Amino acid sequence: MYAVRNWLFGGVFMLVLIASPAGSRAKEIPDSISLGSLANLYEKVDFNHAKHIMLVKDCAECHHHTTGTLTQNPDCVRCHKNSGATAVVACKDCHKAQPFSGAALREKSKTAYHDDILGLKGAYHQNCTGCHRRMGGPTGCQDCHVRNKKGDAFYSAGAYAPPQAHGEGRQRGN
Amino acid sequence: MKRRDFLKGCMACGAAATLGVSGNAWGINSFEGYPEGMGVLVDLTRCVGCRSCEAACNKEQKLPAPDAPFDDKSVFEEKRRPTEKAYTVVNRYDAKPGGPVYRKIQCNHCNEPACLSSCFVNAYTKTKEGAVIYNPKVCVGCRNCLIACPFYVPGYSYSSAFNPVVKKCIFCYDTRLKYGNPPACVEVCPQEVLTFGHRNELLKIGRDRIREKPDRYVDHIFGEKEVGGTSWLYLAGVNFDQVGFDTTMSNDPILSNVKDFLGIVPMVLTIWPALFTGFHLLATKKNHGDGHSGQEDPKP
Amino acid sequence: MNRHKANGVKIVDSHYKVPGKSKWGLKEKLLLGLTPWQYVIQAVRNPFNWILAAIFAVGLPLIAVRFIFGLASVTNSSYDYPWGLFLTFGLFAMVPLSSSGFMLGTTVEIFGRHDFEPIERLALLNGLLGYLFAVVYLLVDLGQPWRLPYPMVVAYGPVAVLFLVGWHVATYLSVQVCEVSVSFFEWIGFPLGKQGVRRITLGLTVAGIILSTLHQGALGALYNYAPGKVHPLWYSSAFQWLHFFVSSIPGGLCMVIVVSTIVRKTMAWRCDANFLDNLDKLTISLAKGASMGLITYLVIKLMGIAHDNKWEYLATGYGAWYLFEMGIGVILPLALFAYSIRRKMVGLIRFSAFLTVFGVVLNRLNTGMITFNWKMAEREIPTLREAIISITLFSIYIVTWRFLLYRLPILYTWKTADERAIAPARGYVTEGNAEPSMAGSYRSRINDNVAWIASQQWP
Repeated sequence: MYAVRNWLFGGVFMLVLIASPAGSRAKEIPDSISLGSLANLYEKVDFNHAKHIMLVKDCAECHHHTTGTLTQNPDCVRCHKNSGATAVVACKDCHKAQPFSGAALREKSKTAYHDDILGLKGAYHQNCTGCHRRMGGPTGCQDCHVRNKKGDAFYSAGAYAPPQAHGEGRQRGN
Repeated sequence: MKRRDFLKGCMACGAAATLGVSGNAWGINSFEGYPEGMGVLVDLTRCVGCRSCEAACNKEQKLPAPDAPFDDKSVFEEKRRPTEKAYTVVNRYDAKPGGPVYRKIQCNHCNEPACLSSCFVNAYTKTKEGAVIYNPKVCVGCRNCLIACPFYVPGYSYSSAFNPVVKKCIFCYDTRLKYGNPPACVEVCPQEVLTFGHRNELLKIGRDRIREKPDRYVDHIFGEKEVGGTSWLYLAGVNFDQVGFDTTMSNDPILSNVKDFLGIVPMVLTIWPALFTGFHLLATKKNHGDGHSGQEDPKP
Repeated sequence: MNRHKANGVKIVDSHYKVPGKSKWGLKEKLLLGLTPWQYVIQAVRNPFNWILAAIFAVGLPLIAVRFIFGLASVTNSSYDYPWGLFLTFGLFAMVPLSSSGFMLGTTVEIFGRHDFEPIERLALLNGLLGYLFAVVYLLVDLGQPWRLPYPMVVAYGPVAVLFLVGWHVATYLSVQVCEVSVSFFEWIGFPLGKQGVRRITLGLTVAGIILSTLHQGALGALYNYAPGKVHPLWYSSAFQWLHFFVSSIPGGLCMVIVVSTIVRKTMAWRCDANFLDNLDKLTISLAKGASMGLITYLVIKLMGIAHDNKWEYLATGYGAWYLFEMGIGVILPLALFAYSIRRKMVGLIRFSAFLTVFGVVLNRLNTGMITFNWKMAEREIPTLREAIISITLFSIYIVTWRFLLYRLPILYTWKTADERAIAPARGYVTEGNAEPSMAGSYRSRINDNVAWIASQQWP
């Protein structure tokens, strides 16, 4: 009799958990995210999500309002005063990897709002570098993502650097 | 259904014919760009000087290897301009105490390009997508386009003995723009400094950005009107003359400076013959003895 | 040559070696009637030829280098200063100095002033050679000179000012070749050709005026493509083409004075009495025309400054340079002309003509090179190689001048002109109404020649 009750409690509890809104499902939040959209020039980035959660605390700082916490950004608050969580949260779900393709432009021209939305690459950099500069995080290109061989060839750098005519005094950038 | 369409067509054409015929009473037309023309909005407040755009252009246009790697920041020590080997360059300006401002320079793909207006073999074409492209097969090498370009953009391959041609950014027309794709520099930019889209849309976006963040931007889109309007538009956080732009430019396209002279040409071609033949007849009349009318005074 | 003449060598000045008997062959005509050895001696003795030899020794190989290795090997390969010495000096400066062709043509043929005829052919040749060598300089400067005919046959860009320049220069060269061909046909003994050209001379002259007005102006309009790049004192938004056209008038007239002065000094043996006796009088007349051109030019330059309200630029460094150019090229010659024309001081007139030519050249160099890109921090100086090639091409120009003046009846009258039939040219005085005071006029020379031929003992 008590076993059945316990099983019932456990089942209901699980059901409640499953049925509850996504934002409260803490165990679905990844600790590390592998960002591979730059694979043709750079090695994948292993983004330490857990560390950022610890440092930033407020999900809205990076995720706008999509995780459920309201954003403070005045440009967003104008319309999103009461907006809650959305079905998708990852950056790549709203910020396209190819923001300027013909299809993307056609879509943009139909929207009255969000017609200046950043692409994925721009969103990563714009969202992250400001805070990194203020908080002493990595700011150089290769500090976050290291070039692979194709990247070196692209930038005519590293093994593909042109022979130096005047070697003295040249600073090497990131 | 078909009859209705036919009648609609008649009305439309009739209306167009009556309205269209009135033409332009002001005499001079201005060209705002092709309606489908694309452009790029360059937001200088976002640029960090990584030079990825230079690298992308170099690879896309199959340009020769550069003198220095594209991640070498020491090139910023001097101001550069586009050359035969580099269709786009980034310069650094220490314009404000908050940090350096970087500017990407490339062909601005003007609505009424000076290079096109000055070419006597019609080597330049303004495509409907907005790109100003160049045909090296007819170029004679007069370099009038280098003289005419107010932005000092075109380079010339002087080093080639037998096929020197003009070298400049072509908006990646052959490989990308023709198919509706953004140019290589736009695609690679990590900070999305470069926003690709229809020119009229970009003007709206630019104005919106200025309106939303008036402290961040100077209230001007460079290229909206300068020299007749360009396809590559610029937003900046400091005054444009502090980052190397020529702010004395007129809003008239360069072509309009020579239009008056070109208008005089057929006048001279028509008036001079009559004028000087007239002078000749008047000046030499008294020497004529071969049948021209010479009424002599009756002798007393 | 003077030594040869003193030794009694007979120089070609008619078809006949011995009047009425043997004719000069073409080779003999080319060698001026001298034996090859005599010809070589006079060439070697001439110190000017030593200078020319030195210039060619350095310059001709350099021109070859330019064509084999490309423009980068001899110029600065500048993107900011695409037009260097070849164009600014060789084309922009030489073309206004060559406007004498249409001016003397107009004077003689349109206005009927046949008293200018002794100098007309010199002026026509000046015009032809100036334009011809402007094209030579252009061919050296163009990236792909073999494509020069493209704007005429392959691809048309009619909205470009340069399109007009190209077509006009090509057409005008043809007109000038026709006009100079009159003396060539005399020399070669082809009177039909000469008559044919004389029939269309009026049309040629009017065409010459039209073409010259437009392309002299168009060369100025070329700088309208770069309104921000030329210094405001040398740039006029509305009148650039007029400034260039009007300055070509004193430029061409004074160039004729300059050339006739040089010729008088160095080639007096080739000039006949008709030329030398009338030269001073004609020089004064040319100077009168040049002064009117100069005063007009001065006023329209001032109007150009007023129109764009650029007075404050006169107080700058460039302003001082502008005042220097106007002073030495326009105002001083004007003053000297005013003084010397009245008093018929031909020497001073000639000096003043040199100053005017210098002023025109300086104006073109200033507009195209020295004040070009005036807002840029660095000025660009042409390379030494560019200067050497420019000098070499100019030397070839002088050699061509000399070659033609030695041979063609330009400075002297061909004694057997119109050997077969004398076609009555239109508009000229018929025998009865000749004005006796027109000494040296065409008609009286024809009469002289007719009399001379009639006096010969024909076999």
